[in-house]
Amino acid sequence: MAEKKLGAYICKGCGIGERLNTDQLANVATREGKMSFVKQHDFLCNSDGVAMIQADIDAGTVNHLVIAACSRRAKTDAFNFADVAISRANLREGIIWVRPATAEAQETTQEMAEDYIRMGCAEVKFINLPAASNEQSLVRHVLVVGGGFTGLTAALEIAKAGYQATIVEKSASLGGVAAQLHKRIPNCSPFAESQSNGIAELIAQVQGNNNITLHLNSTVTQTSGAPGRFEVKITQESGSTITANFGSIIQASGFKPYDATQLLEFAVGKSPDVVDQLGLEALARQANGGKIKRPSDGKAVQSVLFVQCAGQRSNKPGHLPYCSGHCCLTSVKQAMYFKDSDPNIDAMVVYTELRMPGAGGEDFYRSGQNKGITFTKGVVSEVIPNSGSLTVKFNDLILNEAVKQEFDLVVLATGMVPNSGVNIEEVVAAPEEDKTEAKTATAAPVETKLAAESILNLDYRQGPDIPQLVHGFTDSHFICFPYETRRTGIYAAGPVRRPMDMNQAAEDAAGAALKAIQALENAALGRAAHPRVGDLSFPQFRKEGCTQCKRCTVECPFGAINEDEKRYPLFNEARCRRCGTCMGACPVRVISFENYSVDTVGQAIKAVDMPDEFSEKPRILLLACENDAYPALDMAGMTRQEYSAFVRIIPVRCLGSVNTIWISDALNSGYDGIILMGCQKGDNYQCHFVKGSEIAHYRMSKIDDTLKQLKLETERVKTYEIAITDIQRVPQLINEMANTIAKIGMSPFKF
Amino acid sequence: MTDVVATNQTILVVGGGISGMTAALEAAECGKDVILLEKNPSIGGRVAQLYKYFPKLCYPTCGMEINLRRIKANPKLRVITLAEVTKVTGDAGNYTVDITLQPRYVNNNCTACGACSEAVEAQFANEYNYGLNQRKGAYLPFYMAYPQRYVVDPRIIGTADAEKAKSACKYDAIDLNMSTQNIQLTVGAVIWATGWKPFDANKIQPYGYDRIPNVITSVELERMMDPLGPTDGKILRPSDQKEAKNIAFIQCAGSRDRNYLKHCSRMCCTATLKQTTYVRERYGDAGKSSVYYIDIRAIDRFDDLYQKVKADPNVTFIKSKVANITLDKATGNPILNGVDTEGYHRYNNPHDLVVLAIGMEPSVDFSRLGIDIKVNEHGFIEADPSNGGLFAAGCASDALDVNRAVQHATASALRAIQVVNQVS
Amino acid sequence: MSQLNATKVEKYRNHFLREVEANVEEGHWVKMCMQCGVCSGSCPLGPYWEHPPQEIFMMIRAGKREEVLKSSSMWFCTSCYNCIARCPRELPITHIMHGLAHYAKRLGLAPQNQATPKFAQYFWDNLYNGGGRVNELKLGLSLYFMNGLVEGIKTALKMRKIGQGMYFSKRMNPFEIFGGHSCKDSQGLKAALNKAREIEEAKAAQFKG
Repeated sequence: MAEKKLGAYICKGCGIGERLNTDQLANVATREGKMSFVKQHDFLCNSDGVAMIQADIDAGTVNHLVIAACSRRAKTDAFNFADVAISRANLREGIIWVRPATAEAQETTQEMAEDYIRMGCAEVKFINLPAASNEQSLVRHVLVVGGGFTGLTAALEIAKAGYQATIVEKSASLGGVAAQLHKRIPNCSPFAESQSNGIAELIAQVQGNNNITLHLNSTVTQTSGAPGRFEVKITQESGSTITANFGSIIQASGFKPYDATQLLEFAVGKSPDVVDQLGLEALARQANGGKIKRPSDGKAVQSVLFVQCAGQRSNKPGHLPYCSGHCCLTSVKQAMYFKDSDPNIDAMVVYTELRMPGAGGEDFYRSGQNKGITFTKGVVSEVIPNSGSLTVKFNDLILNEAVKQEFDLVVLATGMVPNSGVNIEEVVAAPEEDKTEAKTATAAPVETKLAAESILNLDYRQGPDIPQLVHGFTDSHFICFPYETRRTGIYAAGPVRRPMDMNQAAEDAAGAALKAIQALENAALGRAAHPRVGDLSFPQFRKEGCTQCKRCTVECPFGAINEDEKRYPLFNEARCRRCGTCMGACPVRVISFENYSVDTVGQAIKAVDMPDEFSEKPRILLLACENDAYPALDMAGMTRQEYSAFVRIIPVRCLGSVNTIWISDALNSGYDGIILMGCQKGDNYQCHFVKGSEIAHYRMSKIDDTLKQLKLETERVKTYEIAITDIQRVPQLINEMANTIAKIGMSPFKF
Repeated sequence: MTDVVATNQTILVVGGGISGMTAALEAAECGKDVILLEKNPSIGGRVAQLYKYFPKLCYPTCGMEINLRRIKANPKLRVITLAEVTKVTGDAGNYTVDITLQPRYVNNNCTACGACSEAVEAQFANEYNYGLNQRKGAYLPFYMAYPQRYVVDPRIIGTADAEKAKSACKYDAIDLNMSTQNIQLTVGAVIWATGWKPFDANKIQPYGYDRIPNVITSVELERMMDPLGPTDGKILRPSDQKEAKNIAFIQCAGSRDRNYLKHCSRMCCTATLKQTTYVRERYGDAGKSSVYYIDIRAIDRFDDLYQKVKADPNVTFIKSKVANITLDKATGNPILNGVDTEGYHRYNNPHDLVVLAIGMEPSVDFSRLGIDIKVNEHGFIEADPSNGGLFAAGCASDALDVNRAVQHATASALRAIQVVNQVS
Repeated sequence: MSQLNATKVEKYRNHFLREVEANVEEGHWVKMCMQCGVCSGSCPLGPYWEHPPQEIFMMIRAGKREEVLKSSSMWFCTSCYNCIARCPRELPITHIMHGLAHYAKRLGLAPQNQATPKFAQYFWDNLYNGGGRVNELKLGLSLYFMNGLVEGIKTALKMRKIGQGMYFSKRMNPFEIFGGHSCKDSQGLKAALNKAREIEEAKAAQFKG
């Protein structure tokens, strides 16, 4: 890369010029920051200021800039220069807006600004401009695992967008569960009648599409590589295997119906006239619009009961704790099979909450009522087979009474169990104690526990399938980013991701198709996937320094790092989400990004001017997650909330990227307190890198030992979970730390 | 603004809420040229006005920050605010779109320093807080507003206040001569992410929203919870500014009712479950919530939240559509009258505050906009081949929760890409 | 059991909902109820009802024929139409209540001691037999004494002041007890009413049920 040409630009607008001595700041930038030049401007973000910077860039006088003005989150349109490294010193939101404009505050406020200049200069010197590794290629081909309704829809959507798709289906036929349905719930207004399941047409379209390749009776026996260069082994039942390359993957492995034989109270298995919803679909297909006959004796059913939430929404052992979402709609659809064949058949639905949401749901409910389906809010307790009928005991919650009623047929609305393969957390997860310790015996992790067959057989260090969230679904914990699986370039779609009906599965397939296309396009350009989209930097490591401790491979939340045959980490750039958790993990500090490294942060920490022990001017280091804590700090500025002038704030990509060396270096160089602000961890994690905050909290729980070795009080280092809305809390936490230091005294490590 | 360049390869996204942002970003991150239009001065939409999301109880601005960063970083995506579509003609792959741009009276020079706002005296009902407080005539819509630029309210144009704002700005950012502009764009596909609006609670006369002060809507409660919001994060009774601890939630306020909205708005049940956790968050065991419902539609994974809330002894569920609300003048308490249908129990329950779980209505009447797109009887856009290159995203298509809206918007982005990829 | 009632019981057995749909005015709406209870809560006479409308609809679905038809509840309906205005599902509840009352009356199941059916019958008899005009004095007295002599005297004494007031303000003529006015062509009116009854009965017989 070309020689680094350093320059700083200091804005005097928005009151910066009045509140701070900018000439002095310019001095600091030149003398201490070693900038070749410093320019001050009254209004840096206007067209004149921007033109000035651009002219310097064009003239080749600067390619590494410090812009000392407002927050890095503000005026991004103006300070948007291509192909240069920029560090933003936050003089506005970070200083003048959080400090009182009083004479007595002037000195400490100015010192704060000078430090931010020093930190900016130090950072920019260590930034290198990232460039794509040029190892990429464009593979416009998506693998779709699963040939059910979701998989077929996804493949077709991909083909319609001009890309290729390959479907791998385990069974001998396409269509999955949907093909077993007599009809499906309506997907367009007036949402009154169930409609053809459309599977035959869908299959015909897929089969007739030149951009779609089909593999029936086949499974994925190995997936290796990364987005843009997945190498997948597809093995036929016969054993013959082919290998193919794909840009990205959609996992549409669907669901299994819940095993209803566990529901002894409903006489499952005792009477053939108790069926689940799929059983009823089979009967309806047999009847084909005529009268549905009961299995026991072939008598045309005259009365049928639908039991909602059978073995679902229940904490009983073996039951599903969740709601499967589609079953209310499905029962209404099925009750219509009877009513449409003969309005005199009694069809009753016993439910506790009738969940038919949205415009279509409510319309369909009304249509069902109009056809004469009766709905009873109640709880079914028992089904007793008699000769010739079934006696059902239920509690009518409206009339508040126990009821016994006879039916010819009972249909149980049982739930969906996701086909999500191996739960890698169960298989690989180690006890809390040695989470960061190297785990060696991972090559063959407790085979006996692999009750479920793997879907993807990922050749990944962290297990063969995508991590699950709750109840076995491969969902992520983002409401605003529903497709964030934790394996880059692999997107789950359909009921494997979340319980859903066919209408939602169709949308989900299209959404996943978009993400798959996006992933392969970005991989081809060497750019990161969500949330640091477009980031060209990727982790690099110095092999000679590596001790093969494997912390990076274990801790990577995205399974991006494998181990090579010599047990060194093997980075898969396109799998990486650029959070820096590996960089934080590395005890020997050999992992860094071009534009974000142990040095860019470490040098900024060290650049701060450290007043001596007797100055009564402590220094507090705050490492703030750039997604939540840093914006909260910005907004504290925007709302003019005061906080201590002794704090020095550095944004980090994720708290997971914080290397403990920064903490021990900071303590050694005399910081009196250190605050770390990450996102919420745990079951409802808000960390956009899933595990980063959690890992950082764990690492910091061990920092006490370091403090004790240094004979420092443990209160000097605090780690918090911060939300972006903690706009009032963040200044309080800073001030608390300042108070703590006032109480326990300054650090003795000032040099 | 007239320099906007668009071609039949461009995807136009109308509406800058969570669905529009998502559709625009997902398409742009596939390498497509995208223009995102927003009628308000800032993108963000309804979700920016929520305190928390269900089921995780996390903060919407957290995801918004990520989305804003994605927008700031993406040269393929252009955001145009204060813009409304007036006409669309043409076919898939070649649409001509007429757009009206309202003046912001503030140009790119704005640094969001806030000096204009301080100078201006006139105040108006704050839309961001559903009118629960006032804002200045020159204002930043909210702290995370994007573009981060102030707006001058057109109502102060021509008054002394406008001049005050102008002279307070050191950066020549206020331009009082801006006027309405009309532009025309050629685009390949249009995504309608026009979203929803809360049903007008005044129409539900038996609940007395217009005459009983302590009857509020669910969206207003969201604003009250914001620590920097109109009540500093406290749940206050409008009548006497006392903290409300015994709170009733009325489900289907406007929804599932042929008198108002015939459809089920889907998200209100889970939103209420979420809001009962607000009561606990603020008051612990001293807070009580009563939920009056027909069916609790906490579908699929959201049922976990229902189970959690049901286990809270301070939350009561009453299966009943409340008949009416009367006012106890002595205490200011609204009294809910009705019948608990589970076993037939009449009630006349006083509460400190009533929150109407207000329904979702499509915010744009497409039949009036004269755009050739299929709309169902509820006003939602239907997916139909006859729509050509016009697609709905999010709540323009159905009453959806945020997660489903985003999922739907992602799918819509693909459908728009399919159209523009065919014309290339 | 009335002959008609016996026929209907035999015909519908457990299918009271179907019986209601076939025989009760607007009865086909009953299935559309979603048990929200807003009708029950909105009824100004609600507190007097043993079974409010929404519960009656559930009882119909549950086949509680006797309990519903013998109930006094629907006889309380004063046709204020609050329930219809509020019903989110468009059910013509007022009409259904009257339809149920009417059907119960036809089957001879309507409660014997409930004031509304009695009043309705007295009113009708009074009008029909009184030459097309309601004789208020006779109607009033028959209501006073509907529960026997002692009750009647008690009620009369209780209402004494109102009676006196009406007398002095010439709102009530005690001589009406001896006959009173009738309308012109009272025989013609009777014939018209008889014809109307005939049409109604033919209509009732026409019900598929």
